[in-house]
Amino acid sequence: MIAFIIRRLLMLPVVIIAVSIVIVGLLQFLSPAQRAAAFVRSEQQLRNIDAIIEQYQLDAPFPVQYWNWASEAVQGNWGYSRASSEPVLTTIRKRLPASIELALLALLPVIGLGIWLGTAAALNQEKLVDQATRILSILGWSLPTFVLGIWLLVIFYGGLDWFQPGRLSNQYIIEMASGGFTTYTGMMTVDALLNGRFDIFVDALAHLVLPVITLAVVSSAQITRVMRTSLLDALSQDYVRTARSKGLPDRSVNLKHARRNALIPVITLSSLAFAFLLNGVVVTETIFNYPGIGIWAATAAVQLDVPAVLGFALVTAAIVVLANLVADVLYAVVDPRIRYD
Amino acid sequence: MDATNRPEQQPEQQPEETLRDTRAWYQSKLMKRLRRSPLAVLGVVILVAYVLIAIFSPQLTHDRLGRGCMRDLGVTPTTSERLLNPTDPVFWRAIVVPPGSCFRIPRASFSPIPQPPNAEYPLGITGGGYDILYGLIWGARMAFYIGILVTGISLGLGIVVGGLAGYFGGWFDNLLMRFTDTVLAFPNLILAMVFATIFGAGLTNVMVALALVGWPAYARIMRGEILRVREQEFVDGARALGANGLRIFFKHILPNSLAAIIIVASLDIGAVVLTAAALSFLGLGAEVGFADWGQMVNFARQYIKGPPGDPFGYWYVSLWPGLAIVVFVLGWNLLGDAFRDVFDPRA
Repeated sequence: MIAFIIRRLLMLPVVIIAVSIVIVGLLQFLSPAQRAAAFVRSEQQLRNIDAIIEQYQLDAPFPVQYWNWASEAVQGNWGYSRASSEPVLTTIRKRLPASIELALLALLPVIGLGIWLGTAAALNQEKLVDQATRILSILGWSLPTFVLGIWLLVIFYGGLDWFQPGRLSNQYIIEMASGGFTTYTGMMTVDALLNGRFDIFVDALAHLVLPVITLAVVSSAQITRVMRTSLLDALSQDYVRTARSKGLPDRSVNLKHARRNALIPVITLSSLAFAFLLNGVVVTETIFNYPGIGIWAATAAVQLDVPAVLGFALVTAAIVVLANLVADVLYAVVDPRIRYD
Repeated sequence: MDATNRPEQQPEQQPEETLRDTRAWYQSKLMKRLRRSPLAVLGVVILVAYVLIAIFSPQLTHDRLGRGCMRDLGVTPTTSERLLNPTDPVFWRAIVVPPGSCFRIPRASFSPIPQPPNAEYPLGITGGGYDILYGLIWGARMAFYIGILVTGISLGLGIVVGGLAGYFGGWFDNLLMRFTDTVLAFPNLILAMVFATIFGAGLTNVMVALALVGWPAYARIMRGEILRVREQEFVDGARALGANGLRIFFKHILPNSLAAIIIVASLDIGAVVLTAAALSFLGLGAEVGFADWGQMVNFARQYIKGPPGDPFGYWYVSLWPGLAIVVFVLGWNLLGDAFRDVFDPRA
């Protein structure tokens, strides 16, 4: 198992290199002057585009350019993001924890709701509960993140003013800027508890309610469907019939024998769902003005801030690889038949 | 390049057969089950409604067309009734090749304050005076343009690449499969965003980006289908009759591999429109004032809070464009769901 994990972790740089080759390769479609824009920070430089092209060898052949980019990137220089007015890596370090916090919190209701509804539907196949769940999941699945987010914002912020966009209320932002609050993880809810500030914890949580709902709806619909299918499959297995014929109560057969086995694909899917929550994170953060990497990437994309989008894509690739790894490991943990040697 | 043309020629060779089979097709197990499922029927009804709205968008909006659109169509406010007359060439011209200016939403005013629905503007007016109803109707047309064009291009690319991989196998096949693994694992919206950044914002670039993101999935299905069909007995039969490799591939393997991929692709149109709308929403697609649902939802973000004293005052700015997208996607999902049910009753 350890060997398997290490082998898979060794794949990480390979994927990162592949993704970066593709993106840096795509940049070759731009003219050297357009590529130079990534290095421009002041108006004076703007008048000296040719000097920049020369300095960074932007008209050199692709391998040279990739080598230049890669040797800088390895040393921690991922370029300068105009969208955030600071180096790309600094922004990622600052903003990534906020996005991870959001995605992790969204994953909880996704898994909980998905398993619960999927179980209810499968145990009452073709009955009212099943039909209702089915319609609900199709509806949920059809609600695009950006539409749902806007609607929630119109109702609960614009209309009722129960929840505000952003990450914290102004009073706490001011307080934090004046010091006295230590940042440990960058995840606001965790940091608030570590600082012993329950009021900030509640405030941070209140700001997360709408984004989490927005993110969770689509993915829970998917998990519900998979859970239902998988449980129906398990219920038709021989060992379930054996358990029933032994005279075990229905509840015990359904929940212990069938559901445990049915959870295997759901667990796998959940870690993959985490990677795909990133899709939603970009949109959700933009709607709720939540300062994670998603909103930064979206702003950067509109401003054609290439180093930022490149950095964001690499982080996404890394998260996808890690989520796949977690899925495989969990797979082996819950299903003793699966061994990686 | 030969392979690019063949798949499109294929349907032309079969019209007789399909005509003869129409009744049988309608009575087939698949169609029977689809007709029995009320949700599938609902999905079809929704989609047919959208198709009709998209086709007849010039007629539906003939009394509210913008000045540029009327000029390009050669009508005036007093003669715009001509659009309703099927014997008038302008009726067909507006349906088949409407000028690009018709996709600009006409402005009722330049006031930054939205106006609630009234008799003349049943769905209201956004800030900037844009007529919401007009935007939604022409947005439906835009959605089908985007969906069909993007899916068509990625399908074509997927068929060619997947076909080559399935036919030749070996290192090319291996390389392609590793590549598609990577692309498919990557969240598609983010990948399209990366492409759109490099190409620059704009609806055309968004469509190119989506096609580039979409084809690997089809290439994979295509390759799998080719490998499956290749093992079937009629292929052995053809070989035994002495047909050469290319003839077997184009005459027997390819046509029989296309059915699955075309169904999958046509059900994907909804998802493609959704991703395009998301990109437009992020500001990478159409500009303000263009009849595009994603752009309209994006524009609605400026009107979250109503005027003082009336917090829900601007509800119509975000409700209608959002609803147009949700119902559209719902139609595709209902249909897709029913199809999945028929092919795999357990799912």
